[in-house]
Amino acid sequence: MVNVTVDPLTRIEGHLRVSTEVDANGVVTDAQSSLLLFRGFERILQHNDPRDAALLVQRICGVCPLSHSLTSTNALDNLYGVAEQVPKDALVTRNIFQGLNMIASHATHIYVLWGPDLANPAYKNVLATLGDTGNAVWKEMVGRFAPISYKIDGVPVPAGSSYMAAIPEKKRLQEAIAVIGGRMPGPVTPYPGGYFYKPSLPDIEKLASYYLEVMDFVSNYTLKVPFDTWIANTYKASSPQKAVSFVTEHLTDLINKTKGSNDFSRAAGWGDAEFYAAFGSELVGEKLLGLPASLKHDLIGGYKDPSKINFLSYGGYYKPKDGYDPKSPAEDRIFPSGVVTGKLEYLKFDSDKITESTAHSFYQNSVEDLQPAKGETVPFTDPNQIVYNNDSKSRYSWDKAPRYDGIPAEVGPLARMLNMKEPLVTGLALAFNEKGYSAANVYTRMMARIQETAILAHELLTWVTVDYDPNGKIAVPLDLEKGKNSTGMGLWEAPRGALGHWVSTDGNGKVVTYQCVVPGTWNMSPRDSAGVPGPMEQSLMGSKINAVGNILGVDYANPVGIFHIGRSYDPCISCAVHTIDLTGKNAPRTLRIL
Amino acid sequence: MKNLVKILDSVDILKMDRRTFMKGVGLLGASTFLSTYSTQIVSALEFAETKIIWLHGAESTGCSESLLNASNPDVAQALNKLNVNLAYHETLLAQQGIWVDGKLANTADLNSEILLEDLIKQGNYILVVEGSIPMGPAGSGRYLVIGEKPFKDTVAEAAKNATAVVAVGACACWGGITNANSDIVNDTDYRGIAFAKTDPKKGLFTELGIDKPVINIPGCPPHPDWILLTLGALILGKVTLNDLPSILDEYKRPMLFFPPDHVVHDNCPRRGYYDKGLFDEGAGGPNCLWKMGCKAPYAHGDCAMRKWNGSVSVCTQAGPCIACVEPGFPDSSRPLYVEAEDKGVLLGADVGTIAKVTVGVAAVAAGVHAVRRMKGE
Repeated sequence: MVNVTVDPLTRIEGHLRVSTEVDANGVVTDAQSSLLLFRGFERILQHNDPRDAALLVQRICGVCPLSHSLTSTNALDNLYGVAEQVPKDALVTRNIFQGLNMIASHATHIYVLWGPDLANPAYKNVLATLGDTGNAVWKEMVGRFAPISYKIDGVPVPAGSSYMAAIPEKKRLQEAIAVIGGRMPGPVTPYPGGYFYKPSLPDIEKLASYYLEVMDFVSNYTLKVPFDTWIANTYKASSPQKAVSFVTEHLTDLINKTKGSNDFSRAAGWGDAEFYAAFGSELVGEKLLGLPASLKHDLIGGYKDPSKINFLSYGGYYKPKDGYDPKSPAEDRIFPSGVVTGKLEYLKFDSDKITESTAHSFYQNSVEDLQPAKGETVPFTDPNQIVYNNDSKSRYSWDKAPRYDGIPAEVGPLARMLNMKEPLVTGLALAFNEKGYSAANVYTRMMARIQETAILAHELLTWVTVDYDPNGKIAVPLDLEKGKNSTGMGLWEAPRGALGHWVSTDGNGKVVTYQCVVPGTWNMSPRDSAGVPGPMEQSLMGSKINAVGNILGVDYANPVGIFHIGRSYDPCISCAVHTIDLTGKNAPRTLRIL
Repeated sequence: MKNLVKILDSVDILKMDRRTFMKGVGLLGASTFLSTYSTQIVSALEFAETKIIWLHGAESTGCSESLLNASNPDVAQALNKLNVNLAYHETLLAQQGIWVDGKLANTADLNSEILLEDLIKQGNYILVVEGSIPMGPAGSGRYLVIGEKPFKDTVAEAAKNATAVVAVGACACWGGITNANSDIVNDTDYRGIAFAKTDPKKGLFTELGIDKPVINIPGCPPHPDWILLTLGALILGKVTLNDLPSILDEYKRPMLFFPPDHVVHDNCPRRGYYDKGLFDEGAGGPNCLWKMGCKAPYAHGDCAMRKWNGSVSVCTQAGPCIACVEPGFPDSSRPLYVEAEDKGVLLGADVGTIAKVTVGVAAVAAGVHAVRRMKGE
């Protein structure tokens, strides 16, 4: 057994360590996910004006500040008793605001954080064994996805075309957010009762023009099939099977066109999404389309035991009407709340079923499993106890282990797409399930992120051009008296998954408790009291560590499989670990590490 | 402020000495800066590249996100034109830490830890730090351990061979949000590079006995121009380390971007409403946001002139300023939605008179005590 540890796992937000035990065949037999940073977020909100939270919690994460801000605003809407009255145009503006950020965040992940691993030299070596076709595929991978300041065998490699083109697009999306948010990151506009700034008609026109520019990028780089055609035949398909058939037929056409020429360029119709859809998966690429090889990303990052995993969504994006339900019942949001089990059964979401365990975290609590609202946190203060190189029976992370009905849950684009029964992603999940693969794997996780980006681009246009009325009402007045001795719950979806904030106040209207349960807490969680590993840990175990099913033998020194799996969750560690309670004995005892 | 405009109007920017250069380029913005300096950038290319090591401590990556928002040129173009090798940056680099049975594996092409060791050994780089540094628990620094090493030790090692150190963002400057008042702030013991809150004696470098020149680029996040133009000026030799005492304020902020005599309020898009005495008392209106807690009269930044995100907007266009560039943020700005103290000074005064008060003085009129508090006095 060889210990292969990635520390730090870079190209993520924050600081993450992934430690694995790997057997002689290059298969992971044990995995530990350690979150390495400890800040003090919720505590700084205590004793303060609750309204400050919506701006200050943005500093939990600079990549998705809007998600924290809007989740907090939801909690404050509830705290001040105005959730049911927030005007439609404020809710639509919040949707636009969040939608732009989610698209930017996904694009950053796909192209800047995750994509560079496709230019890992291991693929060059594997693909070289496939002759001209293999070399042509490698040329596309390194030519599109290589990052800046990159070298292979000591020789500088120019940054990839898609990588370089994505940076200005991300910037453009941030500019669009600034039009209605003042600046990005760090916008100042989320506010309980509505939205602080009323976008004007010229603002809306600007948003529309940004939209068109971004869609130019999509049609030049990401998706060569016309965008509307794609949406009509996948997101709007009448069944999951039809959505998958549309994609495989489209890819078959491309393969037929490319036959003999080995031209996998964008000019030949291979957008980045088409390229990955075909070559990323063994089942899709090799078995359905008859390609000679694939990256086999569907064989890594899956769950071996479907009874130990759920896919959870709290629900995001308001329907265009006045007011919303803070409890987020499934029918209240455009992306519905819900739970899909590892066996792909659909359940209703019930926030009372969330507990958190600290059995393997750096805490010395009196009880290991508690509901978030009753949670306690007594962390280690002895530096010698904060160590990361002990085995998986030890305490090894600042992250707690949240569980839904006692079971770990993956959150994020894949969980959202499954819960909303999005035809393409659901169809892929069903196909993998049927053929004996894990429905969730690196490939479906990435395809879900790509598809969600497309869906948001589609919905965004409706929000901007149809639903938003520049002459509408943008806020209802806030009665600060109602924020005294009150509580609020905010449920929302961040780019990386389900995000919840809970707040309570005293008789002076100051914050008594403030809590967040965030996506990284779920995905990167350590083991729980029963010893069940968290989602990312589970998905590492049983996976091969090298490129394309370890086809060239085992290389412990370049475990690209671990890089792919870790990054496929788009980890955000600052979010996941944002609070600390050094005493745990002071009232309130509800301040927790997440 | 008047001086800055004069410089811009009357001085041939190519003939500027280093000090006025620092003043002048700030108003031009990154794109004009780089086009104006194309000749010098070309000649810079003939010299050796400049290496940057960018370390991430306790942060949200918001500063790096902001840097990625740089427009015309975007960050990749700027680095290219200035011949900068962004040699280490955790969010962007291809490498990661790879350990096999506890030992570093592979080469600097794929292993970030080997890369960082090599770079530090070679020396001759600018060190940029984003995020704060925990000394806790109990001085161990183990509340942030990366690659088996407390982050404070990594910063100390990297600082040793750096030619200059640039602290980017409120956290690296003063501890920022990680150092905000709470029941636990003494236990986590978060520090900025040269300050903890407004105290230079508690800065990480003083604590660890490191003597290196430091430039603070505060903001939560900082404007990308502030970062790129500061790095650009250092790289082009327009600013040398000897110039620092004359171009930085007492909090080590470049006075060019954070002018002592200019606040965001001076150029606020809502300024006309303030002059007319029209104030909003809720969300969604067009008027001055003073009564909604806007801190623009205390924020020494060129935000309202420079504007943000490709100059499309600025915070006060959309909502209240939270004075994120000031030392001690966020405590210095809380409560965010309550007008800074001494509202009588402002509201008791004749609004017409206030409108005539010269630029910069309005801040004083708006509350001397609040200004003092912002400075931590």
